[in-house]
Amino acid sequence: MLQAQDEVYISGFGCITPIGSNAEECLSSLRSGKSGIRRPVLFQSKYASLYLFGEVSLSNEELLSQLDVAGMKGLTRTDLLAFKAFKEAVESAGLSPEEISSPDTAFVSASTVGGMCLTDQLYKDSNLLTNDSEYLDSYSCSAHANRIVERYQIKGPVDVINTACSSSANALMHGARLIRSGRAKRAIVGGVDSLSKYTVNGFNSLQILSSDRCKPFDSERDGLNLGEGAAYLVLERADELKGKKASAQLVGYGNSNDAYHTSSMSDEAVGILRAIGEAASMAGLSGKEIGYINAHGTGTENNDSVEAEAFRRFFDPVPPFSSTKSYIGHTLGAAGGIEAIISIMALGHGELYPNLNFSRAIQPQGLHPITEFRKAELEYVMSNSYGFSGNCTSLIFKKA
Amino acid sequence: MYLIDMLAISPQESWNGKAYLNNIRIVSGNKLMAIEPDYGDIIKPSQLRRMGKALRMGIGCGAELMKRNEELDGIIIGTSEGGLEGCISFLNQIVDYDEGTLTPTNFIQGTPNLVAGHLALISGNSGYNITHVNGGLSFENALTDALMLFAEGKAERLLVGNVEEISDYNFNIGYLAGLYKGEDSLSSGLIGSATPGTLAGEGSAMFVFGRSKQPDSLRLVDVACISYPTKEELSKLICRTLEGKGVSSSDIDAVIAGYSGDSRSDFWYDDITNELFPGASVYTYKNLVGEYPSSSAFALKLGFDLLRGDSVPAEIVKKETGRPLRNVLIYNHYRAKQHSLILISGDFSPEKDSSP
Repeated sequence: MLQAQDEVYISGFGCITPIGSNAEECLSSLRSGKSGIRRPVLFQSKYASLYLFGEVSLSNEELLSQLDVAGMKGLTRTDLLAFKAFKEAVESAGLSPEEISSPDTAFVSASTVGGMCLTDQLYKDSNLLTNDSEYLDSYSCSAHANRIVERYQIKGPVDVINTACSSSANALMHGARLIRSGRAKRAIVGGVDSLSKYTVNGFNSLQILSSDRCKPFDSERDGLNLGEGAAYLVLERADELKGKKASAQLVGYGNSNDAYHTSSMSDEAVGILRAIGEAASMAGLSGKEIGYINAHGTGTENNDSVEAEAFRRFFDPVPPFSSTKSYIGHTLGAAGGIEAIISIMALGHGELYPNLNFSRAIQPQGLHPITEFRKAELEYVMSNSYGFSGNCTSLIFKKA
Repeated sequence: MYLIDMLAISPQESWNGKAYLNNIRIVSGNKLMAIEPDYGDIIKPSQLRRMGKALRMGIGCGAELMKRNEELDGIIIGTSEGGLEGCISFLNQIVDYDEGTLTPTNFIQGTPNLVAGHLALISGNSGYNITHVNGGLSFENALTDALMLFAEGKAERLLVGNVEEISDYNFNIGYLAGLYKGEDSLSSGLIGSATPGTLAGEGSAMFVFGRSKQPDSLRLVDVACISYPTKEELSKLICRTLEGKGVSSSDIDAVIAGYSGDSRSDFWYDDITNELFPGASVYTYKNLVGEYPSSSAFALKLGFDLLRGDSVPAEIVKKETGRPLRNVLIYNHYRAKQHSLILISGDFSPEKDSSP
């Protein structure tokens, strides 16, 4: 069990997703069952008319007008989404500019697409077809984090993680560990990804995109919807809260590798079970105390059946669960952060958000996600994230 | 944490132990390409054919170390870019074929976490697995992660390493951004060069670290990083980091500094070594392997080799004081934006600080 000085609280958060450009808007969409999956308006790709996506409704110009990034050149959509969520997070936690740039404040971000959202510009730059491009420092997975570090003068530990679709769940875990190790007193953690031709063509080549709205945990599911967004949370050590109201406590995490296949999970759910088990044991829980699971639930054939199998093996009975990717799509490197925020909102408000588009359970597990919004007394919730190359992470939050 | 084993693939003949120190290769042009070993015993030919260079180097080092060191509790990789050759192939196909039907191999190979994931896969290791991609601090972030895991008591032995490759993708973009020298260069003349830009490099260095003391007592003491610092802020960080480990700046016998031959940013190394470590020897390493975001992994391999008592090759000496080596500080920056310190020691005396 955790000692008091090791307690890590969430003192604020911010996000931008296909169902809202801040946390409050996202909450209201979740409560009213309003999905953000649709034909994209802004995203340019041959596949834009073939598949459905979770697109953030604000254009780059609209995002820019809401941000204080004057003078910064070469900003990509990934950077803009990250800035938007970061700003909301530090404001909601009431961090002063001095606190943000204190050597005691860590920043741990995550991204898988980075600036590759500018696929055509990147093609030109990397094939030497341009001169004086403003985007030469914009493409890396870490580019957005460098921008934020520069703009907010972050002097503490900085890290960027890429474990594919579990990236920002690992960013939360890493931030909490930096605090517990004494390397930081607070950490701003999360991740970002934007829609890109790169990922759309990649997932298309793997044949796991759905032309319909994704149906997580449904026996007729036929793939995922790619989404975009950003989410950041502020983690603070108990004694740094100084009277601030925290929304939850991060009490458990587990990281594991399924060690089975590059782009699919093992039938025995080795990695998923180990991540869930380690998170539960760290939090001192057996599984019965978990009141809700925000599942990874991408809507692909492989993920949902393996995740359901892991639930059946670990939990007795299986707690209420849902995949909120049915609202947002799969936001890759941002998913863990966005879903952590949704888990914390569920805890804080004592409510469960339904899994949309579900009708029939996957067999033989026969597990039914929650399909209607409802109130619930919650003490602990779990959030799961899994990525290509076998990366599995589970987080457990406790009501503050 | 303590060194158990290490391996490096680099532009030097570093695969077989320390022999490279007696036979430094000199390269002309602005790319220092890594010399790859025969992977025959390490990677199955059917897999090898489909791997890009980053993957081959990372899996080559990692898989060989995992063969020699069983029972590892996790795999931690630092790489700024991962397998770029696969990434740009896929990118070019998207544009050249106007988003036609593509095969997933290059897409999968372009994901930076593939090295850590593939190492887990081939060894059946379901333990802790992560990839840090924070540009010039990626490898330092991986080391910090390992230090924390040991301190948490969650691991006894870990594989930690880096990988970076020169591809058309990053070389061209870096070239346009002014990172590399435009004129013909020899790697032997890199240090002290009066022109802007550096030489591109690549490689993989991997380490098995243990939580408890090993027979030869080579220890990685601590790691610290800072982004966009002033010189004052950097000096403060160096002093705080050393103090935290009970080491004074005069205890540092040598600094391995990341001199890259870039006339715009090498002054950082001059300033720090002259002002904070006037009594220490100063060694360089980028004239051996070139510049790349996780190059400090090679510096660490070099540092451990020197601590083991090998003679210091003249090619890497910027300043020699003749002091025997016990405490070595690696100071590197990437494009003067991300600065890092790695403190290592071959401390044979009783532990001052017994934390891992």
